[in-house]
This record gives sequence, C-alpha cells and structure tokens, in this order.
Amino acid sequence: MTREKRRKSVGLLFVLPGLITYFAWTLYPIIKSFIMSLYEWNINPNISNKFIGLENYIELFQDPKFYVAPKNTIFYTLITVPGQMIFGFLVALLLNRKMKGQTLFRLLYYLPVVTSWVIVSILFQYLFAARGGLVNFLLKDMFHIIQKDIAWLSNPKTAMIPIYTLGIWKGIGWSMLIFLAGLQGIPKQLYEAASLDGANSWQTTTKITLPLMVPTIMFELVMLTIGGFNVFLSVYVMTGGGPMGSTEVLSSYMFKEAFDYFHFGYGSAISVIFFIIVFTIAQIQRKLLAKRSFY
Amino acid sequence: MKKALFLLVVVLISTFMLAQVKEVIFWHSYSTTSGEYKLLTEEIIPEFEKEHSNIKITEVQVPYDEMRRRLIVSTAAAQYPDVMRMDIIWVPQFADIGVLLPVDEEFPEDFQQIKDDFLPGPLATNYWNGHYYGVPLDTNTRVLLWNRKMFEESGLSAPPTNMEEFIKDIKILTKDTDGDGQIDQWGFADTGFGPWNSMPWIYSFGGQILNPTNSKAEGYVNSPESVEALKTFKDLYNQGYIAPIGGGGIGVLEGYAEGIYAMTFSGPWAESIIKGQYPDAEINYSLVPAGKGGSKSVVGGEDIVIFNSTKYKNEAWEFVKFMTSKEVQLKFATVGQMPVLNGLLDEPEIKEHPFFPVYLKQLETAVPRSPHPAWNEINDIMDSAWQNAVIGGVNPQDALDNAAYEIEEILKEYR
Repeated sequence: MTREKRRKSVGLLFVLPGLITYFAWTLYPIIKSFIMSLYEWNINPNISNKFIGLENYIELFQDPKFYVAPKNTIFYTLITVPGQMIFGFLVALLLNRKMKGQTLFRLLYYLPVVTSWVIVSILFQYLFAARGGLVNFLLKDMFHIIQKDIAWLSNPKTAMIPIYTLGIWKGIGWSMLIFLAGLQGIPKQLYEAASLDGANSWQTTTKITLPLMVPTIMFELVMLTIGGFNVFLSVYVMTGGGPMGSTEVLSSYMFKEAFDYFHFGYGSAISVIFFIIVFTIAQIQRKLLAKRSFY
Repeated sequence: MKKALFLLVVVLISTFMLAQVKEVIFWHSYSTTSGEYKLLTEEIIPEFEKEHSNIKITEVQVPYDEMRRRLIVSTAAAQYPDVMRMDIIWVPQFADIGVLLPVDEEFPEDFQQIKDDFLPGPLATNYWNGHYYGVPLDTNTRVLLWNRKMFEESGLSAPPTNMEEFIKDIKILTKDTDGDGQIDQWGFADTGFGPWNSMPWIYSFGGQILNPTNSKAEGYVNSPESVEALKTFKDLYNQGYIAPIGGGGIGVLEGYAEGIYAMTFSGPWAESIIKGQYPDAEINYSLVPAGKGGSKSVVGGEDIVIFNSTKYKNEAWEFVKFMTSKEVQLKFATVGQMPVLNGLLDEPEIKEHPFFPVYLKQLETAVPRSPHPAWNEINDIMDSAWQNAVIGGVNPQDALDNAAYEIEEILKEYR
C-alpha cells in the first residue's frame, strides 16, 4: 500500500462511524420512504405490498387537507424563525455586557430550550385557556385590550397563535446562545477603535456588530428553518391538528395518516414531498451562504 | 463416576422439564402503581400458573401512550407477544392487517360456549369481517354526572331522565352568577366533539353513524335523527348553554367538582380523578337521558386478543378464558375494573359498589364505536363534521351529508 493510499484509508476509518450512522439513520430511511410511497404498504411483513406507482401522490394532490398542512408549516416557519432570531439577538446583546447575574440570566433564557416540548405545550394550553388563562387575564382584565375572553385554541382563526408563541418563546434561548458565541468572537479592538473615532453605540451595533454577525445569522437561519419545518409536538399536544384541521402541519398530517390510519404508503408520500421542500429551501440558503463576502 | 452420571441425569431431566414449561407473553397497559396491576401480578397470574403448571405467564407492562407505537414497531419486525390486552377500537384495525387470531374459528366449541356470557356491546368490538378476533376483558361507558347542589340551587330536585328535561335543565342551570355579563356557570360541559363525546347524543336521539353491519354510512350518519342530534347540540352550544370545548383551562371533571359545570357525561374513572383532587366532592350518577332512540351511551374498554404468530395457541386461549372467567372478573371489579359478563348485577361485588350498577345498567344498551379497521378515519371525519357545524357555522345537514360522502369513500376500500 502506498503511503497516500494508507493515509486515505486511515481517514476513511475516522469518518466510518459517522458514515455508518448517516447511511443507517438518514439515507436509508429517505430511500425507503420513497420506495414505500409507491406502494399500498402493509406494515405486516407477512402480507405482500401492492405496487401502485404514483397513485399515492395523485391522491395527495387531490386531498384538500394536503394544502392546509404545507401552508401552516410555511407560515409557522416564516413567523417563528424571525421571531426567535430577533428576540434571541436582543437578549444576546443585553447579556453580552458585563453585569450582575449574567450567568443566571443566560441560564434562565436557556431553560425553555432544554424543557420537554410536551410539558411546555401543556403549560401553554393553560396560559391560553379561554377561562382563567393568563393571556386572557392580561388582555382583558389588566389592559382592557379585548372585551371578551378569546377561546384561542378552539377557534380556527386564532389556534395557530399559541403555537407560534410557544415556538418563539422556546427557541429564544438557543438563538441567544449562538448569537452570544458569535458576539464573543468579534475582536474587541474594533470597538475600541470605533469609540476612539467617536462612534456611538447605535453606530457600533449597526456598523460593526451586525455585519460581523452575518455568518452567525445565516447559520441560525438555516438551522431554525429546518427546525420550523419539523414542528410537530406542540401541534400534536396543544390542538391535535384541530379545530377543524386548521392547525395541521406537515409532520402531524404525515403522522396521522401513517400511524393512526395505517396508510404507510400515503404517509411516506407526504414525507417525500416534505423532504423535497426542506431540501430545496436548504439548498437555496446554502447557495446564499456560500456566496458571502460580507466584510 | 456415579456422581457425575447422577448429575447428568438431573441436568437432563430438568432441561426436559423446563422445555415443557410454555412461556406465554402477555402485554398490557395496567399502570404499575394501580390496584389492577397488583392484583394481576400477585394473585391472578400465580393462581393461573398453579392451575396450569406447564404454562408460565410473563406479563409486560407498556404505558398506554407508548403501546400503539410499540405495536407498530413489533408488527414491522414480526415480533409479537402471545396475548395482549388491547384497546377495543384497535382490534379491527390490527385484525385487518392480519396479525390477530380469529378465536371463533380457532376454538369453535369453546367460543360458542362463552360467547353468550359477554355483554353484547363489548363483544361486538371484537367482530370484523365475519370473525371474532378476541373477547372483551373489561369495559366502561359514559353516564350522566349531575351536581346535586347546583340542581337544588336552581330549584331542580332530580336528574333529567329524558331529552326534553335534559335540554330544559341545561338551560336553567346556565347562569351569569356574578352579573358581569359573561356566563360563568354552564348546564353541560364535555371534552370534545368526537364520537366518544357525540355518540350518546346521536344514538339517544335515534340516529346512527354506520348501519348495523358497518358497511354503509349514507342514510345513517345523515339520517334525520342524526341531524337533529347535531342541530340540538349546536344550538345549545351557540346559545352559550354548553361550556366552550377545547379552550384549555379547567378540566371538565374539575369544573364539575367545583360547581362550574352542572352536568357532563363521564366514564367510571371520574370517581378517582375527582376524589383525588376534591376528596369531599359529591358525585351523582344517572343514566344518559333517553330520547327517541332510548338511553344510549358509548362503549369503551379493552379486549383480550391472541396474536396469530404465537407458538402456544392453546395455552394462550386457556389464559384468555381464565381472565374472562366470572371469578377473575369479579376480583378485578374490586379494584375498579368493570366486568364484561352478563348477569353480574346481583353479585355482592357489584351490587354494593357505589357506582358500578348505573354503569352496568347503561352498558346493557350502550353502543360500540363501529368495529371497523378504518374507525380512526371515521372518527376524525365525525369529529370534523361536528366541529364544522358547531363552531364553523356549517348547516348540520350539509356537514353530515359531507361526512356520509367521505365515510362512503373509505368504506368502499373494504368492500
């Protein structure tokens, strides 16, 4: 074996564990889902599956429910991603200063991130309860913004609002942590030089901090978008896709078809479409990210 | 040498004997902290093993929320338990994908003998496509819970027994007690719009979801009686007599105990949930008010099924028969599980029970949710239809005509 070859094979050994898990847990399920989506799939392996070609996809595009789910998923992403990033950035700016209790505040903001989705979803059900919920109490009894209690979760027009709110609230901590890391990476000399030149804090934020944070912002954008598309547990727990299917998202719709109705082929077709959407968006974002020459 | 030979013989004999012991694996969702679990593991299983020295029962507890996922994974891997206590609405679905043993075909003589011992509602939940895929193990239904104190405050003395009284009482019991212009006490409350909640209304009004053979929806789910049930509910709800459903906040049973909701329908677990938080609460039970269709409620509970992959069919069946025997059923009744056999109303365990008699009486006429593999879909269609009508403003006739169409589309696939 030549030295070059040996070097390569050693390298391969190092990436092998990663590759194996990638093939077993990512690539294989994607391919398998695609195959399953062409069948009327029976989960009992003793019963043969019926090949039906693209019938699942044809049926899918005729299903009115299918159009609600991507719409809700996209709206969820469009609202929660900027929400998490804006609040996360503001909190990161605040906590980047030297101040008392800095660690405590960082911990407090990060706490929702590590709390179980199920638990916080139940908590938000209570916050947004029609009767005796904190949100209605604040809006109606404290600030008199509304006249009557709003039944947030049982009205199709408002049911997504608690889900958005939860998504933003839970994600602020993660977004803050990544921004903090980015902020700490900005050389102090830049600020010193700017202050010698007489820049005020607004100018340093917009002219130094923001441009230097662009790579971090792009990274968050990609990760949070993927996270936004994966929204599932909050919907599953808080509304179960209701009322009247108004909060159905792609993953809850797929879950229902496959695991509640045993339409595994149809469910796979949904996840294939789901995969194509997320893959396309991630590619576009990657292209934007690769072209960066921001500073 | 002699010693070694003796040892060898002992080893051989014991392996031989061990091989004779047949292990039957039993999956269930009894909570490990419950009285049912204690009874099962400390009394029922040991007793069964004593009677059948060649059978060993290995019980495996899987929490209910995980059970479905576990079963689906097991199905994909073709690794099942031998026997399982299964939610009644799953039985036709798993029977349809071909993993359950048709017990009426496998054990015809035994089955004929025990068939008539079971309450009809729970037994029907095992039936799919001409066969029985299990037998009932335990059951429940929903009855009317009424708050005596609130009734008396409104000048009412007894729970409603028919639909007219029921509707009248709901209206009387709904009030704005603090005079701020918002209703804060309701005559009736419930947890959802799905068939579990709506069936007492639909069937007591004389309506149906599917025909008796579960093959037709058109003309049943949208019959004049079914429409009337939905219309009545919708009007009461929209006029504010029924508490908002699904808004979160205080639970229905908690609200009942606190005197916010005067009536609800609930299963036998209401007692432990309410008493756990409100030890002094008084709970009053009564039959579902009778309409044109009589006093009808909905059947819940579990069946006991055998997977057709089992190596020990006969041993599994012995265990199934044991679990559904009168003695074992009565023992389970003492820890709060409702029995599935006919004619137990006079047994002391039932007669002296604070609320089983009402439930068992209700069970005589209770209707199972149509045993059909696609029940989950039908369930969701019904849920949407009721929601569309009640909160979406759709005309009840149109909502149910649409449901009939959608259910027919699904039933077609099984014809």
